[in-house]
Amino acid sequence: MADVRLQAVRKTFGVLDVIKGVDLDIRAGEFVVFVGPSGCGKSTLLRMIAGLEDISEGTLTIGGQTMNDVDPSQRGIAMVFQSYALYPHMTVRENMGFALRFAGMDKQEIARRVQSAARILELEPLLERKPKALSGGQRQRVAIGRAIVRNPKVFLFDEPLSNLDAELRVHMRVEIARLHKELKTTVIYVTHDQVEAMTLADKIVVLRAGQVEQVGAPLDLYDDPANLFVAGFIGAPRINVFTGQVTARLPGAAEVRLDGFAERRLVIPLTGEAPAEGTEIRLGIRPEHLTEGGAESLPIEIDMFEHLGGETFAYGRSRSGETIIVSTRNGRHLKAGQVLAAGFDASKALLFDAAGLRIR
Amino acid sequence: MALSVSEPSSGRSSQGRAGARSASLNGWLFTAPALALIGIFLVYPILRSLVLSFYAGKGMMLKPAGFSNIVRLWNDPIFLKALVNTTTFFVVQVPIMIVLALLLAGMLNSDRLRFAGFFRTAIFLPCVASLVAYSVLFKGMFAVDGVVNSTLMAIGLVDQPIGWLTDPFWAKVLVILAITWRWTGYNMIFYLAALQNIDKSIYEAARIDGVPAWARFLHLTVPMLKPVILFTTIISTIGTIQLFDEVYNLTEGRGGPADSTITLSLYIYNLTFRYMPSFGYAATVSYVIVVMVAVLSFLQFYAARDKA
Ligand SMILES: Nc1ncnc2c1ncn2[C@@H]1O[C@H](COP(=O)(O)OP(=O)(O)O)[C@@H](O)[C@H]1O
Ligand SMILES: [Mg+2]
Repeated sequence: MADVRLQAVRKTFGVLDVIKGVDLDIRAGEFVVFVGPSGCGKSTLLRMIAGLEDISEGTLTIGGQTMNDVDPSQRGIAMVFQSYALYPHMTVRENMGFALRFAGMDKQEIARRVQSAARILELEPLLERKPKALSGGQRQRVAIGRAIVRNPKVFLFDEPLSNLDAELRVHMRVEIARLHKELKTTVIYVTHDQVEAMTLADKIVVLRAGQVEQVGAPLDLYDDPANLFVAGFIGAPRINVFTGQVTARLPGAAEVRLDGFAERRLVIPLTGEAPAEGTEIRLGIRPEHLTEGGAESLPIEIDMFEHLGGETFAYGRSRSGETIIVSTRNGRHLKAGQVLAAGFDASKALLFDAAGLRIR
Repeated sequence: MALSVSEPSSGRSSQGRAGARSASLNGWLFTAPALALIGIFLVYPILRSLVLSFYAGKGMMLKPAGFSNIVRLWNDPIFLKALVNTTTFFVVQVPIMIVLALLLAGMLNSDRLRFAGFFRTAIFLPCVASLVAYSVLFKGMFAVDGVVNSTLMAIGLVDQPIGWLTDPFWAKVLVILAITWRWTGYNMIFYLAALQNIDKSIYEAARIDGVPAWARFLHLTVPMLKPVILFTTIISTIGTIQLFDEVYNLTEGRGGPADSTITLSLYIYNLTFRYMPSFGYAATVSYVIVVMVAVLSFLQFYAARDKA
């Protein structure tokens, strides 16, 4: 267990700025997930913490110690790669024990650690197999085992589940969460999958184009996103976004009009000052907050359905042309072409300015 | 009912068989020219030389001689010398070259090396260089008053010039240097190609886990390249056992001094074209090479087999 701290960390590849100043505090024992679209710099940031990439600017401390120029093997970390990176010519046992030999550890201690990791990960029957004789999930567990035997202070995971099929992914997700409870080690976990982020994290770090967009607990990010990007990235299906203007400033609220629904005035409660009349705004309403009927409601013509059994996603268009998704638990009777009066609770609607920044 | 069902189906199947026959005839016709060429220029000479190896005589005056050529091998000091020389070249040179090629490939594959493209080309170039040009150059460089000797003397490594082309020991060293210079880059290219296919994160994982660089090379790179190492070892073994060009060019075809660099191939050439032609015996010596290559290749496959 160790805390990890990044201060004004930057990374440039030649002229390309990849990480543009990241400040981050990770507490000891915390499970932190870096999430963001592909190419936003998650892996680069993780590899800088691991020591596989140099830090161009800023400082990295692990357990209070500056690590910028410390060799990867001396940082007290272990990493699990997306490709598993197993040694193909070694058995599972050798894969897990190989590196320990070079730390001057005696044979019995190595055997003991490998055995205990194998027990935790249920790898005992596979110890004499080579990686090519293992399934994807088993390989992933070996890669995790190889990290566990080192007793690291910080675990780094780079998209460890993205090569697995959907069912196994859910299973391994649960396994990793259980492992974290058991080992209580600091974990930094990179994924582009917001579901993984939501289910695993104590704290989510949303990255976009090399910058931190927001840091917070999963539900805080869901309930209270700082901007439209975070609101769009967290939550599935994606949040619905309507464009519109402020029509009046009320005490503790803003009255808005949405494009395509000119006749309606919606009152959105705010804690702060409402923007001036005429200001362009974006209104975000999550699919699960749209229901049939309700206090405030918008007529939406439905053109497609996805019935998942318990839940139905209805896809439609607002009158100004935005795609709108309604998620409902009792939508089996809905038909294409039907106009749905999609109601919502105004206190759950999220208001943003034209640049996408949240108006609270 | 059963008959009427089975008849058309059996008719169809015999038609199918006839179709397969004509298709396979077409196939043979297409491959015939190639097969004819292989037969005339490869299979026939191989079989003919096998027959020839049981004949003895000078020039065209050949008589069946049973196993007398094989007996002659044991009593032929030049053959024995050539055999020892060839084995020496193979035993000393192939391991040196393979290890060198592996080390160079490992270094050239590193991300941190600058001008890797330049070094890669420079190391590969010798094997496409003109054999005659490089032999002339080597002879000049390694002459008694050549640049190598004067450099060695200038830096004080030796007091007297080394007789690269006149001393039996150093002449062997020179041949080994020459073929190593020429073929190391060729082998290295195979390793480089194989290294490109190894997942980089395997090395990154090892680095994070504290595996030192030498161990990454020895315990990760070498085992992962095993199939390619086997392939290059066999190719190099065959090449060295058939060694001819370098020795011929460096020693004016004599294998001198005092037969100290004569190889089996050079001896075969001399038996056929330089001395009074002795085709039957030359064919017997050729089959010695065939047997050596077969046995060594088998041993190498056996040593490298997957024990798991
Ligand atoms: N070694 C490198 N050299 C140059 N650019 C790189 C290198 N590694 C990554 N990048 C660039 O940095 C950006 C972020 O990459 P990465 O961290 O892998 O993204 P992510 O893991 O979030 O998908 C990408 O635009 C990528 O092209
Ligand atoms: Mg990545």
